Amino acid sequence: MVVSNIDLTTEKIEVIKPSKFLGTAIKDFTLNLSDDYRYLKTGYYVSLHAEVLGSKVIPSCENIIDSSRTPILLLRAAKAGIPTLPFLVTDSVKKIIAEIGFPVAIFAVNPFIHNGYKTAANKSALYRAMKSLGMNYKFAVCAQPLKGEMVSVKSIFGKSEGDRVTKEISEQVFEVFKIPVCKLHIQKVEDKTYLCGMQPLGRKEISLNDLKTISRGIALISERGEPFSD
Amino acid sequence: MTKIACFVERYNFSDPREEAALQNFRCAAEKLGNEFQFLFRENIADIPKYNSVFIRATTDPLFTAYIVSKTAWELGLKVVDDPESITICANKIHQYALFEKFDVPHIPTVFLNKDELHHREISRIFREFGKPVVIKAPYTSFSRYVEKAACETSFREVAKRFFKKSDVLAVQKFTPTEFDWRVGVLGNEVLYVCKYMIPRGKWKHGAKLRGKPTVIWGRTVALKKEDAPRGLKDVALKACSVVGKGLYGVDIKEVNGDYVVVEVNDNPSIYAGYEDSRDKDIYTKIIRYLSE
Ligand SMILES: Nc1ncnc2c1ncn2[C@@H]1O[C@H](COP(=O)(O)OP(=O)(O)O)[C@@H](O)[C@H]1O
Ligand SMILES: [Mg+2]
Repeated sequence: MVVSNIDLTTEKIEVIKPSKFLGTAIKDFTLNLSDDYRYLKTGYYVSLHAEVLGSKVIPSCENIIDSSRTPILLLRAAKAGIPTLPFLVTDSVKKIIAEIGFPVAIFAVNPFIHNGYKTAANKSALYRAMKSLGMNYKFAVCAQPLKGEMVSVKSIFGKSEGDRVTKEISEQVFEVFKIPVCKLHIQKVEDKTYLCGMQPLGRKEISLNDLKTISRGIALISERGEPFSD
Repeated sequence: MTKIACFVERYNFSDPREEAALQNFRCAAEKLGNEFQFLFRENIADIPKYNSVFIRATTDPLFTAYIVSKTAWELGLKVVDDPESITICANKIHQYALFEKFDVPHIPTVFLNKDELHHREISRIFREFGKPVVIKAPYTSFSRYVEKAACETSFREVAKRFFKKSDVLAVQKFTPTEFDWRVGVLGNEVLYVCKYMIPRGKWKHGAKLRGKPTVIWGRTVALKKEDAPRGLKDVALKACSVVGKGLYGVDIKEVNGDYVVVEVNDNPSIYAGYEDSRDKDIYTKIIRYLSE
């Protein structure tokens, strides 16, 4: 069963709207497509509903939560052999300077900010980043060394544009977290590439071409019955 | 010897009775030959240095406490509250759906999603539950986002406010009682039992005074757990069995002789002189559990 809040370009596949799905009790493998998998949003409740019904669902609630919390994303990715950089979760500017130094990339770890990151090359920029992403120093942040260039790529069923390594990371991240549509933040340091973060892919960012990739992905899954083995 | 990290935030020390309870945990740990350290937010990176993590800061998948819990879990440490318990308990929709599925007696509940906030649906709910009804934001704790609505206007007003953060809400039959039973459970066993009294003229254990931001709490009356009704304890254990094997505080209402679950809390409050006043061994038992 395909539940989607994204209007797909294909007519071959039957798609149920999330609000309708939440009112049904059909136990079936569920593919939950959404441009917003944030915790407490409809995209999350669709997976929750499927799980409580006892259905296998992509993505799982656990993966929705974990992939959106940068330190857990990185910890689980590293465990699965995906290249990541050492990171620090803290609300202390001093600690970041002492243990990571400059330049540094800062990701939010709080209930309100789900997008993006900030970079800082000096102390005052770091204070500014901590002030905004830590919401006036109230919350911790996740700091990672910035040794090269940050790039962001769309990932659809693990498929992404970019060089071979970027494509590989995108596939690997999908293997672990199974988030059908998302944006990955990646850092390129000389000949190395590291996963740094993930965020939802907003509706406006989904192009016609992406819709085609999504439809192809669904068709593939429907054909196989069971999706990408676990 | 087990090295135990107790994850806390500054606010855990603002009430002297909670601070005393935290010191009781430390004493119990040290008496049993373990190490017990408070772990604050700036030192999360130290988690790998410990064998187990005991979370006392408020938990939610969006809070730092979840990062601590899941990190410890991934590293193979023993952790209370474990990430799965946090995920279930922090979301009323999740836990009520499990109660429904596994026949845990609970207050009659319906879920309402964002597109259902219209006259027909609201009328249907009032017909089913009568007036008033109780509306809950799934992420509520400390009675904060639990409100009554007795007419469509106030229903819409409350629901709109709660929908800002969550796309699904829980609506329940209004079931007032003089007190909530609170059953503390650890590893499928009852740890303590008390009554959380509802302040006079109010309907929630934590009630706001009119026009004031501060919350007043009803008294806590502890019972010896052996003296608490068997049926109560059975319902509490059944409710926990659908959540996990950790430390929980189950809120139960007694309605016409039946026990119905209000909610299962992970991270239950433990204040010195309150939850522990009849069963003094709760500190030792929790520490033993953490060091098993
Ligand atoms: N349906 C209900 N009818 C009457 N009182 C309720 C109802 N649901 C909750 N309450 C009371 O409101 C308070 C908070 O409810 P609860 O579900 O435990 O939310 P929280 O997680 O915020 O503590 C408790 O004292 C509880 O007894
Ligand atoms: Mg409660």
